[in-house]
Amino acid sequence: MTLDRTRPLFIRLLLLALLVLVPPVALLAHGAMDDFARGLVPEMDKKAAVVGRDLASSIERAVNYGIPLDKLHGMPEFFEPVLGANREIRYLAVTDRDGRILFISGADAALLAPFFSSADFDIAASRKALIDNFVDITQPLMFKSALIGHLHVGLDQDYVQSRVLEIGVDIGVVTLVSLLVAVEILLFVVTFNITGPIRAASTVMDRVRHGDFSATCGVTSEDEVGRFIHTFNAAIRYADGLFRRLEAYLDEVKTAHFDKTVVERVAEIESRIRFLFRFSRSSQPEVVNEHQATDIRLPLFLFVFAEEISRSFMPLYIRDLYMPVDWLPLEMAIALPIAVFMLCIAAISPAAALVSARRGSRRVFLIGLAPATIGFLMSALATNVWDFTLWRSLTAVGYALVTMACQSYIAQASRQQNRTQGLGVYVGAVLTASICGTGIGGVLAERVGFAATFMISAILAVIAGLLIHRLMEAAQPAQDAAPERRVAFLPLLRNWRFSALVLFAAIPSKIALTGFFFYLMPLSLMRSPDTDLGDIARMMMLYPIAVVILSPLASRLADRMGWKAGLVAIGGLIGGAGLVLPMVSPDSDLLGLAIVLLGVSHGLSASPQLAMIPDICWTECRNIGQTNVLAFLRLTERIGSVIGPFLAAAFIPLFDYTGAVVALGWVVLGMSTVFALLSFAFGSGPHIEAEDTE
Amino acid sequence: MTLSTALRRLAAALLLMMVAVWPAAAAEDKAAVKPKPLRIYMALWRGWEEAAQGFKDYFINQNIPVELIVRDAAQNKDKLKEFVAEAKQMKVDLVFTWGTTVSEEMLGRIDSVDPTRHITDIPAIFAIVSQPLGSMVSDFASSGRNITGTIYLVPTETQVNLIQSYRPFKRLGVVFNPLERNAQVAIAELTAIGAKTGFSVESRALELSDGKPDPASIKGKVAELKAAAVDFLYIGPDTFLNVNRDILTGAALEHAIPTFAAGENPVLTSKALFGGVYRYYTVGQLSAYKAEQILLHKIKPADIPIDPPKRLSIIINMPVVRQLGLYPPMKLLGLAEVIDPTQEGKAK
Repeated sequence: MTLDRTRPLFIRLLLLALLVLVPPVALLAHGAMDDFARGLVPEMDKKAAVVGRDLASSIERAVNYGIPLDKLHGMPEFFEPVLGANREIRYLAVTDRDGRILFISGADAALLAPFFSSADFDIAASRKALIDNFVDITQPLMFKSALIGHLHVGLDQDYVQSRVLEIGVDIGVVTLVSLLVAVEILLFVVTFNITGPIRAASTVMDRVRHGDFSATCGVTSEDEVGRFIHTFNAAIRYADGLFRRLEAYLDEVKTAHFDKTVVERVAEIESRIRFLFRFSRSSQPEVVNEHQATDIRLPLFLFVFAEEISRSFMPLYIRDLYMPVDWLPLEMAIALPIAVFMLCIAAISPAAALVSARRGSRRVFLIGLAPATIGFLMSALATNVWDFTLWRSLTAVGYALVTMACQSYIAQASRQQNRTQGLGVYVGAVLTASICGTGIGGVLAERVGFAATFMISAILAVIAGLLIHRLMEAAQPAQDAAPERRVAFLPLLRNWRFSALVLFAAIPSKIALTGFFFYLMPLSLMRSPDTDLGDIARMMMLYPIAVVILSPLASRLADRMGWKAGLVAIGGLIGGAGLVLPMVSPDSDLLGLAIVLLGVSHGLSASPQLAMIPDICWTECRNIGQTNVLAFLRLTERIGSVIGPFLAAAFIPLFDYTGAVVALGWVVLGMSTVFALLSFAFGSGPHIEAEDTE
Repeated sequence: MTLSTALRRLAAALLLMMVAVWPAAAAEDKAAVKPKPLRIYMALWRGWEEAAQGFKDYFINQNIPVELIVRDAAQNKDKLKEFVAEAKQMKVDLVFTWGTTVSEEMLGRIDSVDPTRHITDIPAIFAIVSQPLGSMVSDFASSGRNITGTIYLVPTETQVNLIQSYRPFKRLGVVFNPLERNAQVAIAELTAIGAKTGFSVESRALELSDGKPDPASIKGKVAELKAAAVDFLYIGPDTFLNVNRDILTGAALEHAIPTFAAGENPVLTSKALFGGVYRYYTVGQLSAYKAEQILLHKIKPADIPIDPPKRLSIIINMPVVRQLGLYPPMKLLGLAEVIDPTQEGKAK
């Protein structure tokens, strides 16, 4: 698959935005983080002192009741909530007058004992000291105005470092997202206001060069480009006017002149002019608009952005909505809206594609936005799993309509050019939106909550609608009159290569996507206490990033080596192996690696999967059209999208969360292995074999 | 409370303004501003104590004029019939009954309410009833009759958890009065919880003489429990043992057995180690609040749920702690009310 022709422009704009945006942000962030780190240290000291005084006074109270300091009971339980609530406090300890450790929680007594026993603590004031990697804040313990011991609050020096790093990563994510959004907008502005009109002008100019003065450019903007186009149009209209005047004059000569030879001569001239030049018959020139796949990129980007915002916290949101019912366990309840969403998309997409082809992409896009926006809005207000499922399926209907409208627009706009280029625009917009949506969604949900984040989705969808409404009025490509006849898809399944591709490559890859990435990932990450929503979102961004980086490489590789089935097989194996990895340890780093490997897997196999179709379904492509075969592949692979969440939900009670990831991994790995083995049999010459089966 | 006081003041001020502006209605409104004191019949079992005081103080603090008709049965069951007759004859506005016996005799157990023997027309509030569920009411949400009440005993499971949080134990000792049903119910509950959470209950019934439990047998029973190697002694809601609490807790202390009390008195005024209770005073106040709901806000007693005070009091008897050398865990100490006469004034 070659990428769309806006790619060089995209990269240039990306570099530009990078130069403009990143240095100032980096500079500001650096300064702010310095201040933050400097401000954090005294704040932590203050907090440690407050915590210390509080604990010390409790201990003093106990001692006042006649409990000897070394006989205090239940100290670990007493310290535990304090350590739990303050991540920066690493240990709490009580020492007696001689610096012997009586109680300690959070650190090894042997590590600190030498320091405590050697330090001179015989002062009745709080003090600060550096021990190893800890900052030790000491409070004196007094009984009847005599010093009886000390309370130590140990701060972790690494804490400041890790906090600063965390904020740095947050800033990085936000910068990356703003960078991508800025480039999307720039790309839209440039293609819509400059590239498009210039292309239209060049089309018209091309026709003029061939003596065709019947068309003008349909550009109405008032900027430099617009003025140029206006002047250009005016020149054409002037030539057109001259022709009409000439025509009138010739008519006059023809009717008024009596010399037959003159009349004949004039008629000859007239026919020669008509032969050499073309003018519109009705003085109303044809308006030429250049439709580009990129016209729809920004609205599509915004819409997918809106949907992807909830990616990182969707299962967590459903978990909050769940109210216990006997016959529907929590795991299944979480899977339900995710699977129903996929089911609705699968069910609506074929019809949506038909409707878009008939009614025009712009209208279907706008129609689709209505249920989607209502779905986003009501998802924010949902009160239980049931109405949430309903709102999600409404969103799914909208999603299917909008994405199909975009695909049909792109297909029509890029008819004259390469279709794969158009596909590149589509995939590019969806992946960039996925990176941005997932990343920013987690940050937003953490700051403003789940419901408000859904509201933001609704607002984004409305903006996408406004863009389509305002900017695409003129840019409606000529409708494809191709009648959509019913085609028999079932013979496709009799092609074992196609069935194998669907069953052992496409479906497991979707199972991994929805079952692991959409469903299990947020739930298992959230189980680790240190993980917040932002962390989950950042980890989940790795998937689209890996796909973005690898997709072009994979397609280039597939082109060069021509071994498409092999790439699909390798991709599947890598994805399955990634999911099995957490078996080694339930560490969240391994889950992150699994995400990256899943991205690698899908980046490797997605485009070869499509590219394989003409090879393995040669006859079918000829009979029912490649588009239909691809559509059927899309439809059947969605079976995997629907069963993925349910499969994962069924695994949780059996193997717990990490176990469910591994179990899902084995399923995917097993199916991929079957495909890998079969792919050797795909061999060469599938065309002939396919013909034989016909 | 302060908010509701403020609201009431505001309401009163509004009422006064209306009186000033609207002379025609003045006569009626004056009655509302200065009502006749409400008459409440308080039937007590063993004299005036903290719950009765809490009940009375609530009305004083809330500025509600009441006339309390206080009667003490002095643990004599026969007197209660006279109380019923007297309350009916005086046509009081509300009846307050203290204790299981008084409440059951005057208001009737749920299965045997008799309008001739019990008070049914006058709304009533019971307090300090050990097991109201099944005896006074069948549902805490609503009595279904013209009464409501308060709960004063901490749920047995919570009590067990409290003891476990002081020190994990395997064997719980109980001395009980075989004539009191409450004690047996409590032992049955403890045994059931013990079977679930892994401790056993050693119970010893007091000996009877002349059909009454013999206080002299207490010491011997505690010694038997010591021999059975109990980790804690549990003092339930047992009136007889409550009266003889000094003998019981004294014996336990002598044998170095830590004691947990389900009522406040063994800890507050005797030598029990610690207790988890709803304070009688708070229970009295909550009962008075329910009386206010009935008398001033005209809510039907059946619509007022029977519930305990919000706050559980953990009381630790410090002199006993020191004597036993069994120090409370820091967490518990932070939550507890500490009784320490020697530290008076500088305890907090």
